[in-house]
Amino acid sequence: MGAAPASRDVTSYGMGLAAPLALFFLLFFVAPLLQLFWLSLHNDTAGLHWGLGQYLHFLTDPFSLGVLGSTLLLGAEVTAVCLVLGFPIAWLYQRVGPKLQTVIILIVLLPLLTSVVVRTFAWIVILGRQGIINATLQSLGVIDTPLKLLYTQFGVVIALAQVQMPLMTLPLITALGRIDPNLDDASCSLGAGSWRTFFRIVLPLSLPGVIAGCTLTYAAAITAFITQSLVGGGQMLFMPMYLYQQASTLQNWPFAAAISIIFLLAVLAVVSVFTTLGRLSRGYGGA
Amino acid sequence: MILNRRSLMTTALTLGAMKAFPGLSFAQARPLVFATFTGSWEEAHKAVLVPAFRKANADAAIVLDPMLSVDQIAKVNAAKANPPIDVMLHDPGPALVAIGQDLVEPYPVEKSAYYKDLIAEAQEPMGPAPFFQVVGLTYNPEAVKTPPTSWADLWKPEFKGRVGITNLNSTLGTGWLVEIAKMRGGSEANVDPAFKALEELKPNLAAVAANPGALATLFQQGQIDISPGNFNAIQILKARGVPVEFVAPKEGAIAFKTTIHIVKNSPNRELAFKLIEAALTPEVQTTLMKPPYLIVPTNSKVAMGGEIARVLAKDTAELKKKFVFQDWKKINEQRSAWIERFNREIKI
Repeated sequence: MGAAPASRDVTSYGMGLAAPLALFFLLFFVAPLLQLFWLSLHNDTAGLHWGLGQYLHFLTDPFSLGVLGSTLLLGAEVTAVCLVLGFPIAWLYQRVGPKLQTVIILIVLLPLLTSVVVRTFAWIVILGRQGIINATLQSLGVIDTPLKLLYTQFGVVIALAQVQMPLMTLPLITALGRIDPNLDDASCSLGAGSWRTFFRIVLPLSLPGVIAGCTLTYAAAITAFITQSLVGGGQMLFMPMYLYQQASTLQNWPFAAAISIIFLLAVLAVVSVFTTLGRLSRGYGGA
Repeated sequence: MILNRRSLMTTALTLGAMKAFPGLSFAQARPLVFATFTGSWEEAHKAVLVPAFRKANADAAIVLDPMLSVDQIAKVNAAKANPPIDVMLHDPGPALVAIGQDLVEPYPVEKSAYYKDLIAEAQEPMGPAPFFQVVGLTYNPEAVKTPPTSWADLWKPEFKGRVGITNLNSTLGTGWLVEIAKMRGGSEANVDPAFKALEELKPNLAAVAANPGALATLFQQGQIDISPGNFNAIQILKARGVPVEFVAPKEGAIAFKTTIHIVKNSPNRELAFKLIEAALTPEVQTTLMKPPYLIVPTNSKVAMGGEIARVLAKDTAELKKKFVFQDWKKINEQRSAWIERFNREIKI
């Protein structure tokens, strides 16, 4: 009996440390989620009749499916913009001196230090009819009448991309930092051009960061209720607003619950695609 | 993030109240909780109604917990036996929902000193209306030289790409749609004509705001020049120097009764009644009628004055003539179908 602690395997860790958080999650995340699921299995708003009516309603309704589709597409667009704009910054970060590195990290982190509401309002000012973009283009004589930028899909994508950018850049910076710079030189000395080096060496090795960044950005972009409704307006319906409308304005909780569950599953599906890619890339990177 | 300060304040207030009145935590579980609306309503109630109530009731503890009508209903619904709110404030649509779901108590009319002084439209036995909200046309006087006179002006070709509306999530959006239906021969039960009219309005539409508050931003940014709008919201914008004017259309300005209710099973029933009484007094209503609040009074003993007398009505007789009240019982029956239809059809 007394020998038991001594023979404890030092390479394994007790799960006890995770217990407080696990309990917290169980109480405040898993339990409400189960309640939500239970509620979604009712056909009437009072929650008395069991059935799959809410799910059938959503999945057979082209309009609802359209809302789901456009939300998932919005996430993909925002993620693509973030990746294309964020990668060069992260790449640059690894190749400049420490002073510039501080500047870059500050610029990357700055959006996180202001509230999403403030950032979104700034975009309203920028994209508006008399906003910075339209005023500049008009004074340059490029356009006569102001372009419609606010309350368009384009506006939402741009605003969301800026708002969620740190979620993409930070994992990329970490991933790129782990790549041995000598690999670049080796590739060059073996005769590969810089593009070839980038696509064959840097990109594959940074894939874990790319995957992590994409997952974070995607999840944040599709659920960004505030930015979507302020920059997108009332005529562009995405899942978070659809959910809010059903739950709050119409008090149709079972349908709202079903929407949440479907939305959750759809997001999980997309995220698992990302993780599968990540697992594949680990094999690729190691090869 | 917005909520943090508020919930902190609420907690601090509650703790403070419990410290100040140690007996409170035993005798009553908590101070009186009044769920007002966010924004200008909260400011007005904090500055005028709460002090009046505390003065009349020996500094009784009270907490303002501002939230939307629909959220009030959701919160009370989630804990019917022990509601976290004592007094609810509602727009006409949600008020009927709350009454229908058996969440409110009838107002003790016979005990009330002020109920009988309210104008007839405000005397609601399930919860009186201490205030009106008024919806008319708002426009930017710098861009619109001739003031509009009718809802129909929104369809004028000169406003191509300059009109803003809100979707039907809000009372304003739904009430406006019903008014358009009436203008085109429809009613609370038939809004088909309004949807046809919306179809014709599309070339003029610059924006469909997600909520009435967003309309204010759109005016500020010059995104729209004309829209249906709330009288109070416009006064606030005006006071901040935004060029906007309010006009009551000749079809009549839409008046929404804002009703105030005692929540069923409230542990603070008596104080809740006292708070509502305070909201009905001529003193509170007179103060709230003045700038910067400009809230339309419902107590017939209050003489209309200032901007309200100038723009809306000189007295209650004129008010009744110029205001349109809608049948929200009928509206609620089909509202969800309309919201669905609006979602589908209004894409610009």
